[in-house]
Amino acid sequence: MTSVTQPDQVFSLPDPPSRLSMATADLVEGGRRTWHWMTLAQQDIKLRYRGSVLGPFWQTLTTAVMIAGMGVIYSKLFHQDLHNYLPMLTVGLIFWMFVAGMITEGCGTFTAVQGIIQQVKLPFSLHVYRLVYRNVLTLAHNFVIVPIVLFIFPRPIHWPSLTLLLPGLLLVIINGVWLSIFLGMVSARFRDVPPIVASIVQVAFFMTPVMWPIEALGSNAWWAQFNPLFAMIDVLRSPLLGMPIAPHSWQLLGLMTALGSAATFGFFVRFRARLAFWV
Amino acid sequence: MSFLRLHDVCIDFPIYQGSSRSLRNALLYTSSRGNLARDALDRITVRALNNVSLDVTNGDRLALIGPNGAGKTTLLKVLAGVFEPNQGTFVAAGKVSSLLDTSVGLQADATGRENIILRGMFMGIRPRDMRQMAEEIGEFTELGHYLDMPVRTYSSGMMVRLAFAISTCVPPDILIMDEWLSAGDAHFLDKAQRRTESFVKTSSILVLASHSMGLVEQWCNRAILLHQGQIAAMGPVKEVAAVYHRLVETGNAQPPAEIVAAE
Repeated sequence: MTSVTQPDQVFSLPDPPSRLSMATADLVEGGRRTWHWMTLAQQDIKLRYRGSVLGPFWQTLTTAVMIAGMGVIYSKLFHQDLHNYLPMLTVGLIFWMFVAGMITEGCGTFTAVQGIIQQVKLPFSLHVYRLVYRNVLTLAHNFVIVPIVLFIFPRPIHWPSLTLLLPGLLLVIINGVWLSIFLGMVSARFRDVPPIVASIVQVAFFMTPVMWPIEALGSNAWWAQFNPLFAMIDVLRSPLLGMPIAPHSWQLLGLMTALGSAATFGFFVRFRARLAFWV
Repeated sequence: MSFLRLHDVCIDFPIYQGSSRSLRNALLYTSSRGNLARDALDRITVRALNNVSLDVTNGDRLALIGPNGAGKTTLLKVLAGVFEPNQGTFVAAGKVSSLLDTSVGLQADATGRENIILRGMFMGIRPRDMRQMAEEIGEFTELGHYLDMPVRTYSSGMMVRLAFAISTCVPPDILIMDEWLSAGDAHFLDKAQRRTESFVKTSSILVLASHSMGLVEQWCNRAILLHQGQIAAMGPVKEVAAVYHRLVETGNAQPPAEIVAAE
């Protein structure tokens, strides 16, 4: 006896949850699996340097060599005193690598774990948190250089402004989260986005005051202050160097966090269900 | 009480690379003859599942059979929660463990033992809980010293042993498996079947897609035949298998309705 699916076999099912609640649940569920994305991120870093003597500190060494090399040459090129230039370059470059890393790797948030997405049901946000946390871990490894440089080339320490580091870092991390969701989704759908983003980040490196001091622009310094990437670097760098944060950095960063998160959330709500088909 | 319910579920795959006319033509003349359509934005879509309604409940050991490209894997992925339907509704109750692929969450360079922990995480089991079960999982695989070797040295049959042992270390409410299971040898399949039976008896569901009728008849008590994304037949395994054989003999040309009418 073989039976066809008859219309009378149709049973009533509850309405599926709304897109909004599914998206919210995804972000929350992913957050609850902290142990999972933390372990995965740690493992990512370990695997990258598996079998090497220094392990993840290869990252630190690479950055240190780069800073030393660039510091000597560019301080001459820009006619800067090494005592002022090197701390600025060190701190700026380390935070730049953090921000740029999240942006470029963010393009692969979902495509890089395509195999997992298509085989197991997991909150999509898990992959996002894993990526951001991995970059935080890389930042922590690179950050070892900062106290060393500041010890050799001391800067005035302004304790009250040092406390601003924490909210600054938090805002930058939130931006990293929405950027890797947004870029990750767009890149999964349109495969030419990652190379475009990579080129933009490369050009932005030269246009953002990381290697060169913003004062070098003289009266034109204001336009660099409206660069959102500068705002991210500035709120983290200036407190460490005992310098005042540029006038618009907080506002710009705050605005970017609010608008970016809101727009990305809307985008995520609308297209989350399509993501498994895109990757 | 676990169940899987689908009501008029449709899955459309957008083919983003396929906007050119030539590719569309190429797709139209392939042997798998998917259901091509164009959506509102003039993108080509393949309808992998078309109005599938299904009710799977406690104790069901459901086999999915059908020719290549019939939508078996897509349906498994819907049941596993990977693909959300474009249309229709899907509701699942119970803890789902899906074995669609042996390699999920496995690191090729890590040892079998390390991978037990890694794969456990993707099943939602914390490493410290997994460590307590690792010994038992290792025993079930009968891989012995191989457990301390990187999994890239494993044969596909060994991968199947490891993956199956991990995925079933905690009896799932719903176990969803794709056809790779047949890579295991007879001794292992026998052992795996006994384990599956033991938890299907205690109110669980098994969904298995396979081309091996022998395996399906041994493991399952119900079957559905998928053809061109639709359920062509549903019922006891032997009868559905007979419809499937007839379908294969007469070629894929016959529309599903006629196949069923012939019964």
